[in-house]
Amino acid sequence: MIAVIRRRARRWALNGAAAITLGYILTPLVFVTWLAFFRQEIPSFPPEGYSMRWFAAILDQPKFVEGFRMSFQVGVLATFFGLSLGVPAALAVVRHRFAFRVPLSQLLLMPLIVPGVVLGTAMYVFQVEAEKGLDVDVLGTFYALVAGHTVIIIPWVVRLVTASLVGVDRSIEEAAQNLGANAFVTFWRITLPAIRPGIVAGALFGFVTSFGNLEMSLFLVGPGRTTLPIVVLQYLEWKIDPTIAAVSVVQILLIGIAMLITDRYVKLARVV
Amino acid sequence: MTDTAIAHGPVVEKRRGEGLTAAALLTPATVFVAIALLAPLVILFRYSLNEFVPARKMMVEAVTIANYIKFFTDPYYTTILWTTVRIAVLVTAVCLVLGFPLAYVVARTQSRFKNLLIISIVLPLFVGNSVRAAGWMVVFGNKGFVNASLMGLGLIDKPFEIMFTEKAVIIGIIAVNLPFMVLSLQSVIEGIDRSVEEAAFSLGAPPATMFWRVLWPLALPGILAGTILTFILAMNAYATPFLLGGPLFKMMAPLIYNQFTQQTNWPFGGAIAFILMTVTLLLTVAANLIIQRRAAR
Repeated sequence: MIAVIRRRARRWALNGAAAITLGYILTPLVFVTWLAFFRQEIPSFPPEGYSMRWFAAILDQPKFVEGFRMSFQVGVLATFFGLSLGVPAALAVVRHRFAFRVPLSQLLLMPLIVPGVVLGTAMYVFQVEAEKGLDVDVLGTFYALVAGHTVIIIPWVVRLVTASLVGVDRSIEEAAQNLGANAFVTFWRITLPAIRPGIVAGALFGFVTSFGNLEMSLFLVGPGRTTLPIVVLQYLEWKIDPTIAAVSVVQILLIGIAMLITDRYVKLARVV
Repeated sequence: MTDTAIAHGPVVEKRRGEGLTAAALLTPATVFVAIALLAPLVILFRYSLNEFVPARKMMVEAVTIANYIKFFTDPYYTTILWTTVRIAVLVTAVCLVLGFPLAYVVARTQSRFKNLLIISIVLPLFVGNSVRAAGWMVVFGNKGFVNASLMGLGLIDKPFEIMFTEKAVIIGIIAVNLPFMVLSLQSVIEGIDRSVEEAAFSLGAPPATMFWRVLWPLALPGILAGTILTFILAMNAYATPFLLGGPLFKMMAPLIYNQFTQQTNWPFGGAIAFILMTVTLLLTVAANLIIQRRAAR
């Protein structure tokens, strides 16, 4: 009897500790969401009432709309390039043996561990040198920004596509080839559908990483070309109000939806 | 957060022309990352050996380690490095203690809401540090939730100063890094067979003994991965110290940004970037060795 009570108490203690940690992680999101619905502009407690008007107020500030559009465009383009480079690389890493296989695959994952600020400064000086050497505009251009974001998307694509490729049974592809399919048809009809979950997950994670990137982008944006996280940072440096909270809520919702979609294709528990 | 798939990919028999196919598949990505990541790092290192003429705000080509010496001989900068290391160590320790129970519960749960649980851990990761800093501003501000609640209850007369202090920065960075720690631990705990825990219990081990003698050693790879990741991220935190610490509070990443953009001192900024990377790497390797030696005993 006592043993049962003790075991139950332990279970409650464990779940309680877990709940506290989860609560801690979610606290900032809860409060920023709460603020977005305040009626008054100053974030003081208790709120004087609730209102939805701040969501409409976002549209009155073109910098948010512009920042969102810039982040979205950069994210989509960089994800496209990241997939075009990353998926073949993942195929090579899993399916082929060659010299320097492990160091090369580690190089592709390296952008994940180089700190954002260092990545940004390094790319900045590289662009300065490139501009000097090539005599074309590089610094602060849209395409330089996309190239930078492609670098941080590649590791996600490589990692997630690699994970899903390992689970694919090679004999199905061999069967297709025995039945007369050439390499291209085999890839298109057999391999690609099999690794689609990995590609979808890689694309979504890559896009979301790009969309939320702040540290590296700080060095790469040019005049009149600012991404949403930088607009948010600069606004918050100045003040916090329900408008910026509403911007945050829109961002949380979009990313939450992206996560739910990803989860339908691949179990998130297995890929992160 | 392991890359076992790459380290132990299936062994494929060698065939003719395979080297060519592999090269065709791999070369574009490798060349791109080499140009866009390695080359910039090399140039940044070269810049860090240049000289800076403050009067003209100009960089002069040179080969000198003066920038590195300047950093380590000026207490202003060494204090910033020390603050950063101290905060990173503290944050990592707290993340491990707070993260373990949640990771364990997520790994062992049979609930059909497990995916929702994981999404709620991953979501904050992707929402961005500024948004989460905004959340803490609402909590900590002078008229924020904590101060309004405590004053409303009559527990304090005037607001606590939390915003723009080291406390706020530490609380903020812990929240930013916890998901990484939880996910690293959870993926390893999930691979530990439940029956080894039950075996320990049925042999009469109390929970604490079971934890230290069974769970902890088996989860060590995840603990290492999680602490390393958390430590690196804390060392490099930018948005959280910038927004929650205020203009006077300094950590390494904001310092680099400041040297680069405000002072336009690229050589010194580059040197600080490499000092930050090297110190992070050395401390990570040292911690790794200590933990592994302990575990081997």
